[in-house]
Amino acid sequence: MQTSTGNVKPPRVCDNYWSEFKHCKSLSNRFHHYYTYGTTPSCQQWKEDYYNCREWEKHKGTEAKEELQKSERNRVAEQSKFTPVWKLRQDPPRDWHLPLNQDKPQDS
Amino acid sequence: MDQTKEEDFGYDLFPERRKGKYKKGSIAESLFTFNHKCQVMLQFAMETSPYAKLLLSAMKSSGCKVWKDRHFSCEDCDGTVSGGFDAASSQIVLCQNNIHQQSHMNRVVTHELIHAFDHCRADVDWFNNFRHLACSEIRAANLSGDCSFSNEVSRFNFGLKQHHQECVRSRAIRSILAVRKINREEAEKIVDEVFEPCFNDHTPFGRIPHSKKDAKFAYRDYENRDRYYANL
Repeated sequence: MQTSTGNVKPPRVCDNYWSEFKHCKSLSNRFHHYYTYGTTPSCQQWKEDYYNCREWEKHKGTEAKEELQKSERNRVAEQSKFTPVWKLRQDPPRDWHLPLNQDKPQDS
Repeated sequence: MDQTKEEDFGYDLFPERRKGKYKKGSIAESLFTFNHKCQVMLQFAMETSPYAKLLLSAMKSSGCKVWKDRHFSCEDCDGTVSGGFDAASSQIVLCQNNIHQQSHMNRVVTHELIHAFDHCRADVDWFNNFRHLACSEIRAANLSGDCSFSNEVSRFNFGLKQHHQECVRSRAIRSILAVRKINREEAEKIVDEVFEPCFNDHTPFGRIPHSKKDAKFAYRDYENRDRYYANL
């Protein structure tokens, strides 16, 4: 969401991009990725994001900012590209907070 | 779907909640039995497991704050089942007679909290919609550490390339068969139908947490989510 003053800081603290990069490249993560997906992870994007983040912070460069935001928006899109099986609620279930023994026992 | 066999929704595994009575034990029971050990391990899990802490935080944000005494119940259960989520009473059941190690408790708490989280944020029809049930079981097996390499090896399930997905699939089928009276073929078909969207739904972790470090990173991201979404 663009405010009148524009975005003021990177989506994450810059060091977080570096720690994600190192974590991505670690032996244990590569193992887990292979165990899950049968491939090796690609980690380069985290490194680029780190440099763009630093560039944004130091020189307030528009290009670096846009590259970083594009990368993060891609990440969000990746997480939401599947149609959910259920409908999301607007409010939590009403009986979550009710005390016990006031719920109707389940009929089987 | 064949409905001639009477469905009991798996409540036979949890005999203490069959009649809908929620009894409180004596002080002696709470101090010297498995019940006390279960309570202690539960408290430790809620305070120290990054998986549990993230889920508790996410549930609070979704309007379902978890109170240990209201939403958790340590009980004796049948067979080898470790726990369950009872949507009718909004309670997570922990099988005090089957959970003896902290690492196991951490995993069961995480698994059941994922069901509770799904119950809180989505219109899940636990009792009538098998696709919903399957989806939550896939997510719970995927995100709780149930299918970690070491856990699978300890079950003598040796596999490497993409084995995680095989494990998630088979544990989801197993969980469904334990609580619903359908046959294996039907269960397999339902799990296959919903596998792709549900395996790839990593909410609220944002990733599949394979290790404590993954879970800590996920928790860090979750705590900073306001800044994240405001600056995209």
